[in-house]
Amino acid sequence: MSELPEYKLERVFEAPREMVWRAWTDPDLLQRWYGPGVETIIHEFDLTPDGSWLNEMKWGDNSLYSKMVFQEVAPPSKIIWHHFSSTDADWNSTPNPKMPDWPRLLLTTVLFEQLGDKTKVCLSQIPMDATDAEIACFAAAMSGMDKGWGSGYEILDDMLTELLAANP
Amino acid sequence: MEEIRYTQTQPDLDAVFAALADPTRRAILARLADGEASVNEIAAPFAMSQPAVSRHLKVLERAGLIERDIDRQRRPARLNARSMAAAVDWLNDFKAFWGTRFDQLDTVLIDIKNSKAKEAGHE
Repeated sequence: MSELPEYKLERVFEAPREMVWRAWTDPDLLQRWYGPGVETIIHEFDLTPDGSWLNEMKWGDNSLYSKMVFQEVAPPSKIIWHHFSSTDADWNSTPNPKMPDWPRLLLTTVLFEQLGDKTKVCLSQIPMDATDAEIACFAAAMSGMDKGWGSGYEILDDMLTELLAANP
Repeated sequence: MEEIRYTQTQPDLDAVFAALADPTRRAILARLADGEASVNEIAAPFAMSQPAVSRHLKVLERAGLIERDIDRQRRPARLNARSMAAAVDWLNDFKAFWGTRFDQLDTVLIDIKNSKAKEAGHE
């Protein structure tokens, strides 16, 4: 079986690790940064293996629901959860309304590494229990994330910028 | 609860990403970025038969990534930037999902540090 596509994001934060850990695991702090531009409501936050984080992002009359189920919690260095990126209001997993073949479930790992008085956070997401179509969809998207779909994509990107500038 | 509705006019992104998952098809798109081309012209740089290239073109056409002239003998293919732009938009949204959150986390951490510093100052 070939390797699964992976989304990775790393960032160094100017804060000690205990503080960064608290910002991720205290629901009051978490809802201040999770869900930019919209109201984040954390309905449940049980930071234990098999415990859930039930999250609602709300703007106007609209709500987007997602469910995270914790797998491993190792303070202050590691959290692993199952990320159901789209659910109904009863927290049942549903296909993404915009893109049905987007993976419904992503295995999410967050690592907190101490660098003196700073903290490096590494986030990784890998499709789980995914259909071939979901894997292909995620792989195509990921191959466009950093390397830009190869040189071909860079050409396209330039061309798009020109086209969109010409026909706004 | 009111359901979020999306317009039906946007391209089928699943088909777009499935089409983009293949390196040959990405290379064909890169070729077409230089201008429209016939099947023969597209096939030339690839060690591939014309029917094989035609099959790739059909996938790209179904995804709305290219358009082909029906009337003319050569049936040249050309890029359709709209579908491509929709795919790029989706990617940007996904990137923004965690990227913007990390930006906000930065701000929250600075707030915590500042309020701690204030507390310490009052002691």
